[in-house]
Amino acid sequence: MNTPTPHLRQKPFTKNGLTVGLLLVLATAACFLLEPYVSLTSQAMIYVLVVVIAAYKVDWVSSAVSAVAAVTALNFFFVPPRWTFEIENPEHFIALGVMLVVALVISFLASGLRRETEVAQLNERRAQQLQGLASDLSDVLSGEQVLKLGQQALDAAFEGPCNLVLTTDDHELTDHAEFPIGVRDGMRCCIVEAAVLGPGTGRWPGLNAWYVPLGDKDHAAGAACIAPALAHDDAGREHAQALCALLAQALWRLRLTSKMQVAQNEVQRQQLQSTFLAAISHDLRTPLAAIVGAASSLQTQDDKLAQSEKQRLLGSIVSEASYLSTLTENTLQFVSLTNATQAIKRDWESMEEIVGAVLSRIRQRDVHRRIKSKVPEGLPLVKADPVLIAQLISNLLDNALKYSDGAIDLTVQANLKQLMVTVKDRGPGISEAAQEVIFKPYTRSDQSGQRGAGLGLALCKAIAQAHGGQLIFSARKSGGSNFALTLPIDTQPPAKELP
Amino acid sequence: MTLKVLVVEDDREIRALMQSSLTVEGFEVQTAVSISEASAMLRHSPPDVVILDLGLPDGDGVDLVREVRQRHALPIIVVSARHQEEQKIKLLDAGADDYLTKPFSVDELLARIRVALRHRGTTLAAAVKEHQLDDLRVDLVNYVVESKGELLHLTPTEFKLLARLVRSAGRVVTHRQLLVAVWGPEFTEHTHYLRLYMGQLRAKIEREPAEPRHLLTETGVGYRLAVN
Repeated sequence: MNTPTPHLRQKPFTKNGLTVGLLLVLATAACFLLEPYVSLTSQAMIYVLVVVIAAYKVDWVSSAVSAVAAVTALNFFFVPPRWTFEIENPEHFIALGVMLVVALVISFLASGLRRETEVAQLNERRAQQLQGLASDLSDVLSGEQVLKLGQQALDAAFEGPCNLVLTTDDHELTDHAEFPIGVRDGMRCCIVEAAVLGPGTGRWPGLNAWYVPLGDKDHAAGAACIAPALAHDDAGREHAQALCALLAQALWRLRLTSKMQVAQNEVQRQQLQSTFLAAISHDLRTPLAAIVGAASSLQTQDDKLAQSEKQRLLGSIVSEASYLSTLTENTLQFVSLTNATQAIKRDWESMEEIVGAVLSRIRQRDVHRRIKSKVPEGLPLVKADPVLIAQLISNLLDNALKYSDGAIDLTVQANLKQLMVTVKDRGPGISEAAQEVIFKPYTRSDQSGQRGAGLGLALCKAIAQAHGGQLIFSARKSGGSNFALTLPIDTQPPAKELP
Repeated sequence: MTLKVLVVEDDREIRALMQSSLTVEGFEVQTAVSISEASAMLRHSPPDVVILDLGLPDGDGVDLVREVRQRHALPIIVVSARHQEEQKIKLLDAGADDYLTKPFSVDELLARIRVALRHRGTTLAAAVKEHQLDDLRVDLVNYVVESKGELLHLTPTEFKLLARLVRSAGRVVTHRQLLVAVWGPEFTEHTHYLRLYMGQLRAKIEREPAEPRHLLTETGVGYRLAVN
């Protein structure tokens, strides 16, 4: 922030004296140079001009002095008898007297004008500062930033020392160790009274600084101590209060934002919890019942069961348990993905490899080799988390195996911008009503009477989105479903050419 | 002579399950419930294989793996849950031989143990120089790679990559281990080299590169050369 320093500072007296002296020397020199050509009247005008300039440049006292000095100099150097302070001609006496009065009046008016101009400029600078601070505060994210901007603004606006401090939620000052005890007490007091203290405020006029609370009663987020404070400087105090009001607003906004964030997190946490409850209530109970049933049957009826029946029960235990395992994996992954604060871990991966790894695992459940894969050579690499992408493709293929009977096509294609993996089946398809909810956690198309992977598709979508890609469903004209995963292709990494 | 297996696992059920199924297969099974207990047992009477669960109460096992590697050539198989991916890779890089992801079947466990035992003592005995499975034959000594009876022309990098996998045939080799072996320790972050050269190698060796028979991908971990 580069607001000009709006101090209303008095120029030092010596500097004013020098200015006046220099102007008078210049005027006297000019009069001497012009003497052969002009009359005494014009010389008097030159001195008057200098008095006007001086009155605008320096303070009132110096300009009055300059008026007297100008008249004296004119008398001494030019009014006959020259080089004396005597005046022979009564007319000259009157002229000099009038000139003195004129010079004094002009100097008085000019310095009044100058003061007004300065006040107007100061007000403008202050307005600009407020505007600048307001826009700087509009995008701050922490109390520390507000503190820093506020300190800069106060230091720029007042000679200081200015102090600014935040309060904790229970109205205690933070980081106040370096402040003198009087300043600390003043800050505490203005927060408690929720009012400005100091000269001109009617409260504690004996103080040498203004103490301004940041915020209303009960909502004070901090306090400021601003010096120097003068009882008659109402404009300065108002500016200080305006700056503090801006800081208070920014701090209040931050507090509200953080409260809202907490509330949102809480809502999200509860949603996740209910998602878990939904999972346990249906998707976990059913397979658990099947496992307990089969296992207890083997335990108690062992000798009555035929060998084939035992094998069937064992098979059911294994498949139900592995279903539970997948479900747990999907649920945990979904929660960690939707809850993730940091980005997923991505590396350069080959889709051919991921598809290969998925197929080698899934072929165990695809004994009739219904999945037909088509993966072209020379696919570009993608930046991805291979475990997540493998889980996505696995889920899609598992669903296709479960919900359809015919062949399943797994195809990978790539163009310059994106890589697309499609899984097409020839099953009954998904009804239009169901299409709207399949990507939502814990809903599933129940028409086939088979269990789904709970939030398998919701997880798939979350994985696609975490990679900056998409997962789109479309119904096939010939019946069946078509799931398409698209992933963006980044600029390929440089390949080191080795033989 | 019966082979001794040390199972380090803190869960009672899984420990009992492994003990019974390994005993049935003729192994002599010792169990430990913590890193410190395992460490003491290893010093006392070293087994032939260690099965090490991740997430034991008293440590992540990296020190144990290093300690074992300094003194014995005995294989270590790491058992991990899905969410312990990074820890698992850390142990493999530290010298563990292989891994199993929970839940696993007894079949898988036995297969891993068999492969691990095949490599037992390779640091002392002659290293693997030859590999043959189905139509693929690799002879590291004579730089010969044959597929379907035909001689294949591999570039030096492709050959180095294949050779590293052959030396650990059947076991997982991590990305890091491969990158160090083929390109050098300063290239451990360049996993895309692996993707590219592995793709080339598959195109030459595999009938169906998209569904490899030999060069298997262990997603997120590394590669494995199939032995059966």
